Amino acid sequence: MIFGATGDLTHRKLVPALYNLAIDGELPPGVKIIGFARREKSDEVFRQGLEELNRQVSRNGHDDEVWASFAPNIHYHQSEFTDEDGYRRLAEKLDAIDRDRGGKGNRLFYIASAPEFFDDILYHLKKAGLNQAKDGCWARVIVEKPFGTDLATAQRLNRVVNETFQECDTYRIDHYLGKETAQNIMVLRFANAIFEPLWNSRYIEQIQITCAENLGMEGGRGGYYDKSGALRDMVQNHLLQLLSLVAMEPPTDLSADGVRDEKVKVIRSLRKWDTPEKVAANVVRAQYTKGSVSGKVVPGYREEDRVDPESMTESYVALRLMIDTWRWSGVPFYIRVGKQLPKKATEISVHFKSPPGVLFQSLTDSGAGGNILVIRIQPDEGISLRMISKIPGTSMRLEPVKMDFQYSTSFGKASPEAYERLLLDAISGDATLFARRDEVEEAWKFIDGIEQAWHQSGAPIPMAEYVAGTWGPKEADDLLHADGNHWRRI
Amino acid sequence: MIFCMPMAIIGVASKGTIMETITMDSQFGQEVPVSGIDKALRQLWQQDDSRTNARLINLAVYSETPGSLAKNSEIVRELTREHACRAVLIEMDRAAQDASIRAWITAHCHLSGGKKSVCCEQIAFSLTGVSRGRLRNTVFAHLSSDLPLIFWWQGDLSPIFEERLYSVIDRFVFDSSDWTNPQKSFDAIDAAIATPRPLVVQDLAWTRTYHMRLAIASLFDDPLAQQSLHQIQKIEITHHPRHRNTGLLLLAWFAQQAAWVSGTELAMKIDGQHGNKEGFAFDDAMGHPVQATLVADEAAPALALVRIAGEHFEIVIERASHSSHLHLRLRVGEHVTDTLAPAGADEAGELIGEQLARGGKNSLFRKVLPQFRELLAAHPR
Repeated sequence: MIFGATGDLTHRKLVPALYNLAIDGELPPGVKIIGFARREKSDEVFRQGLEELNRQVSRNGHDDEVWASFAPNIHYHQSEFTDEDGYRRLAEKLDAIDRDRGGKGNRLFYIASAPEFFDDILYHLKKAGLNQAKDGCWARVIVEKPFGTDLATAQRLNRVVNETFQECDTYRIDHYLGKETAQNIMVLRFANAIFEPLWNSRYIEQIQITCAENLGMEGGRGGYYDKSGALRDMVQNHLLQLLSLVAMEPPTDLSADGVRDEKVKVIRSLRKWDTPEKVAANVVRAQYTKGSVSGKVVPGYREEDRVDPESMTESYVALRLMIDTWRWSGVPFYIRVGKQLPKKATEISVHFKSPPGVLFQSLTDSGAGGNILVIRIQPDEGISLRMISKIPGTSMRLEPVKMDFQYSTSFGKASPEAYERLLLDAISGDATLFARRDEVEEAWKFIDGIEQAWHQSGAPIPMAEYVAGTWGPKEADDLLHADGNHWRRI
Repeated sequence: MIFCMPMAIIGVASKGTIMETITMDSQFGQEVPVSGIDKALRQLWQQDDSRTNARLINLAVYSETPGSLAKNSEIVRELTREHACRAVLIEMDRAAQDASIRAWITAHCHLSGGKKSVCCEQIAFSLTGVSRGRLRNTVFAHLSSDLPLIFWWQGDLSPIFEERLYSVIDRFVFDSSDWTNPQKSFDAIDAAIATPRPLVVQDLAWTRTYHMRLAIASLFDDPLAQQSLHQIQKIEITHHPRHRNTGLLLLAWFAQQAAWVSGTELAMKIDGQHGNKEGFAFDDAMGHPVQATLVADEAAPALALVRIAGEHFEIVIERASHSSHLHLRLRVGEHVTDTLAPAGADEAGELIGEQLARGGKNSLFRKVLPQFRELLAAHPR
């Protein structure tokens, strides 16, 4: 059951993911997909809309024959999210499906509606008894982001979720964790003998995580985004999740809790800033002004559709984080995320310390630098390692060279979409790639400290500006220059 | 579909293995929407798995001269025989009324030994009109990350050359011979060098002096010539009028190596025929005067002649027009030597190749720069 079935997420991601799982033979037989939404629609009209989008976005392309066998399993259920009767009718519909199939079915509820309906949906699922698994079956819920807007709302939502479903049946989705390279971070670190011995403050100088988007508030996104901002929309979930995968200790096993126990320790170890001055010294927020991206002139953030002309919401944030653990003592983690940057890219770069400069330091050009291991999350998922090499010739000339591994070319087939993996994991009961309650709350606790310094302190931290199409404000460059570092050119 | 087009064999390299250069399309490639460059490049490679995409550097070539894209694409095609790079060509028309941007992609492929096809990507941009930061924003979004950016600026520096542009460049190559106002442009270069992360700059006018410097140094390896180093009374350098900076750089270098200081009146008045001569006065390490003359000759290559003379010795290094060799002559008393040495290239495209092969921080150029600036200011143009 997908709540919010007429939305973009269902059309662009969820149903194409299920379709591709079906093509790959990964979807269990007999799966029925029921879209729950407010608009009046027939099954047929609903399927037509999904088919239209699937043709455009499906990873494996669209095959009419496959769709013809897949589509009859898709149904539409019209109801208001707050209408008790709608859930009663849904329960009847599910029972009818069970009867037709001659057995009891497992149930997976995907809450992809607007966040203000999360409580209502969960409450009514419980009231209709849909949260209860039938004997020998399971009932699970996937909750889309945003999971709260601060610690208090996240805690409240967690209470509602846990009153409806058990924690082990709750899947807080963060689609970044479903990306192939994000999953590969653990493999890279713990299945290769060469990296883990170097993965600490003795050999690593700094780590940068960049999540750049070359889009602004197109398609009416401004309404949601202006209430959220880069810090809450991206850092609290996606980037802190990536950070914890990069910085965590080896888990005792690969069970969901084994991994999540280690991830949450990283978030707990983030150094907190207890004054607005300390926040200002470590966090830069900014909005874009009019500029050009991909050759097109774009408006400034405050001129965007559905954005308050006096908005104090950040479209860019850069942070210098310190993780107070034995392993990471003294290593800065720089995170930056923003809209209307020059290109779309999410990457983690691990910058190793330079070797002693007694032999070759004078021979490398400025900027040659040390070794950098880059984990590309999107696009062009892959891993590259930069090293310094002698260029063939009679003189001793050194240049950086890059060893590059790309998923698309190395394995000869496209990686599954993040939602494919995550839906399959939820179906098979593996919560490793989903956030646990304490992870979400610890992340919010950290983010709230920054938000309070921004919005509730007597001397609010100024909002910097950057021209759309540039790599962010000068203040963000200065944040790294103060440590003698600079943002990696992507 | 660039890779599907019939391929034209353009040339056969003469060095070592048989190598054929193949270009994927005419001119500078297939036009693509700016927002779709990355996707188009991916498709380009997916069309043929047998090709190797090679790159060691990012090479950006910037020009404000109309028609430069085709010329520079040709230069890059030659360069990629030996220097694997992602090339980004930029032609900017700042005077145009409307702001626009167009992009083309192509690949330069070289077939090595008839077996392996090694290709280098090229993205060409044509920008018109003035819009803040477009060059930096749009063009630099298409660099290959973690590889050095070599930025070759052709022609006079314009206001586009500013801190936020050069702060992302690893090596900045220019040809001061092309500058109409070298003093002003070198001021901008000085500012870029003075930043906390100094820009590595390479002047092709300086690169042109390389073989002449090598020849002079080799002649002074002779023990008799070495003893005469402090008895020099005159130095004469003949250059092409377009390459005055090359002549001045060579003179500045020699003055520095010989520990000369500028005379009280550095600029000497010399009545050359048709005003083609300029003179400079130095004091050598012992305080003796040295006279330097620069002669401009329309028929000469960039550097045609260097004559260094004292009472009992003379060194002459000469390059005939179109010759690929330098003729080196040394006479110290009765002792005479006569040898040949390679002359190197004068054309910017070939010099870039030499420069890329050599690399380095170019610290000698930076050391010579203050004295060169002094000479430049002595006879302002």
